[in-house]
Amino acid sequence: MPRGNRAGGAMVDPRRPVLVLNDVTKTYPNGRDALKDVDLVVPEGDFVFLVGASGAGKSTLMKLLIRDELATQGTVTLDGDDLARLPRRKVPHVRRKIGIVFQDFKLLPTKTVRENIAFALEVTGTSRRRIKPAVNRVLALVGLTEQAEQYPKQLSGGEQQRTAIARALVHDPRIVIADEPTGNLDPLISWEILQLLLRINELGVTVLMATHDADIVTALRKRVVALEEGRVIRDEVGGGYHRAG
Amino acid sequence: MLSFFLFSISRAWQGFWRNAAMSLAATATMTLMLLLLSSFWIVQAGFLASLSYVEDKVGVVADLDDNIRQSALTDLQARLAAMPEVRAVEYVSKEEALRRYREQRSAQGQDDLTPFLNDNPLPASLEVKLRRPADYRTVAEFLGAEPIVAKVQNIEDTTDRLVSLTNFLRTFGVLLLAVIGSIVLFIVINTIRLAVLGRAEEIEVMRLVGASDAFIRWPFVFEGALVGLLGAAISLGVLVGAAEPLSRFMVGFFSILPINVGSISRDVTILVLGSGLGLGVIGAWVSVRTYLIR
Repeated sequence: MPRGNRAGGAMVDPRRPVLVLNDVTKTYPNGRDALKDVDLVVPEGDFVFLVGASGAGKSTLMKLLIRDELATQGTVTLDGDDLARLPRRKVPHVRRKIGIVFQDFKLLPTKTVRENIAFALEVTGTSRRRIKPAVNRVLALVGLTEQAEQYPKQLSGGEQQRTAIARALVHDPRIVIADEPTGNLDPLISWEILQLLLRINELGVTVLMATHDADIVTALRKRVVALEEGRVIRDEVGGGYHRAG
Repeated sequence: MLSFFLFSISRAWQGFWRNAAMSLAATATMTLMLLLLSSFWIVQAGFLASLSYVEDKVGVVADLDDNIRQSALTDLQARLAAMPEVRAVEYVSKEEALRRYREQRSAQGQDDLTPFLNDNPLPASLEVKLRRPADYRTVAEFLGAEPIVAKVQNIEDTTDRLVSLTNFLRTFGVLLLAVIGSIVLFIVINTIRLAVLGRAEEIEVMRLVGASDAFIRWPFVFEGALVGLLGAAISLGVLVGAAEPLSRFMVGFFSILPINVGSISRDVTILVLGSGLGLGVIGAWVSVRTYLIR
């Protein structure tokens, strides 16, 4: 698969950051600093593991990126938009540039695989005639064409997560944010999901994956950003899950 | 715009049937609440009609001097009829008064003693019907100042008591209806809120994939409207079904009341459809709003 082509066909410029956090602090109303002075630049096409114990600030970081929360200090810039300055009505447009994948999949049980994926396009006002080919394309990409008419509870965990990934991709996002996507899956299936995310990354989509899975992080030697008590304690390319040495 | 409208409608329809248990529970609650509201409305209408029936009985009776000139009488009648407080004026002649007295005696089973009288002792009178019983005093004072009036029969105390009683009952009825209305409002809105709460995950997914507020809100609002209209239709069906046997049972009671069945059924239809639609829409609107404001 040739590098440099996003699924949507736009060119990837690796020098252009898709995500910039500049001196970000997030203090919750109870006074706790969930994030403290975080600087992070993610160039387009990057693959980043976000690691750290529970409560280290991974979830808060994810919430800032999708603008579920706003930074108390500092700026979060996604694809050139300063999220704090974004008017409320523009928020949905920014979210369409992000594909989100969760540990618990968040699939709708009353909809089939195809409907779950199409749902993301329907509720953003995509015309019917453009929905079908887009859904078929991502179904093929995640290898679920055969299961398209099944309901989530008829699928295995890995298949459910692949459905969620397909839904995240159907908008042609610039970045996929995966919050512990393998947290509920056994190791073999976890590797399958990783393979899929790597393939998506090869297509030019930036991937940011929060994980606890030390084996995967250490084996892949990608960029690792480690959080501890709200601070970035390590940011290295080719690192393992734990600090080297 | 049209496609957005059609999208919202079709999503609302889908949402209703794919969550059938919750939607039907909401519809059932809506139906029961609308029935409660409309029954009270109907009772209230009958009650108000009874009150105005009683109030209609209040009038001012002025006894006239004997041997007054016909022109003076006609003149007074005309001036009375011109007063805004006055609904009708009836002249009761001496002979008519005697006839009524005799009728009353015999109705009470007592002997008619009038043949022993030399002449008719009863005065002629004017019976004035009022638009509102509260205007009693104005009209009574006006009549008292007239030279041909011998005496205005004093029923002031009775009238005052009746007026304060009917005013109290009217206010009480309106308050009761307001309380019932609020209860209905809260129960229906809470039921719809529960139905929306059951779909929090769906709303969450919509938000995360970048659906705009309008795309999240309107399908739910249409679904609320669907629940409301369905509930209203069932309620009206029940009311129509119940109307026939009920009115046959109540016919004796209602026939004496100045009750307008046509206008009541029109009001109830508007009430049921309006509150059903309104409650459904408002309930859905406020329930979804909680998820949109972040």
